[in-house]
Amino acid sequence: MTHGEGMSRRQALAILGAAAVAAGSPRAAGAQAPPALGAPEPVAHALKRVFGNRQIRDGASAIKLDVPLIAENGAMVPVSVEVGATPSPVKHVYLVADRNPVPIAARITPAPGGPLQAGLNLRLAETGDVRAIAELADGTLLGVKREVRVTVSGCAA
Amino acid sequence: MADIGRVRIRVPSTIRAGDVVRVRAMVLHPMERLERDAQGKIVARAYNYVNRVVVTYLGKTVVAFDTTQSVSENPHFTFAFKATDPGRLTVAFHDTAGGTYEESVEIKLA
Repeated sequence: MTHGEGMSRRQALAILGAAAVAAGSPRAAGAQAPPALGAPEPVAHALKRVFGNRQIRDGASAIKLDVPLIAENGAMVPVSVEVGATPSPVKHVYLVADRNPVPIAARITPAPGGPLQAGLNLRLAETGDVRAIAELADGTLLGVKREVRVTVSGCAA
Repeated sequence: MADIGRVRIRVPSTIRAGDVVRVRAMVLHPMERLERDAQGKIVARAYNYVNRVVVTYLGKTVVAFDTTQSVSENPHFTFAFKATDPGRLTVAFHDTAGGTYEESVEIKLA
């Protein structure tokens, strides 16, 4: 009986050990990979996490952000963005929904020198600003924002 | 969601060499939302949503999207690329559960 108990304890420890290794390894891999784009956080945190303390300059002359004035269904709000001539090539364009639990919605990476016209549909939890922030190759940030009124919440994400 | 991962791509019916072509692609995907418990706290678990979309044309990436749960269910994406040669345009959707759903269209020049 004692022997049997010892075995089961050993087995249990082995299983726990294996589980710890299994749980630990993806975390280790995750630490090497770049941090996840979106996390549940206030928008100010999200911007600071992604852009650090860099200033976002007004990009109204270069960026065209197309959003509806009023979104009747917050679960599906078409948003499109077009970036025209910029002083240096566009590296990424971020779409940010200020009032969402996960504010950063998407990061668009164009091919170098390629046209940047892109759109997708977002969930918007409530009325608030939607921003497009272009990160240029030289590190400059250009941003525009537009308010979207949400009639029915996308209740979301 | 038996249809999860079905991809549809729409391109204009006629494309001439040198055109900047607008394409629309969608995937059927639930894009799981954050869940909250009775206290309103966010439930920490592995949510399944599309987190990367990669578009390749003639073997080169023309645009990539990294996405989060703030993107709608059954997301639609639009993008543009410059059609230079006939060839294959592929859109691949990757989700956080490890799924990859892709579809391609043959770009023919008129």
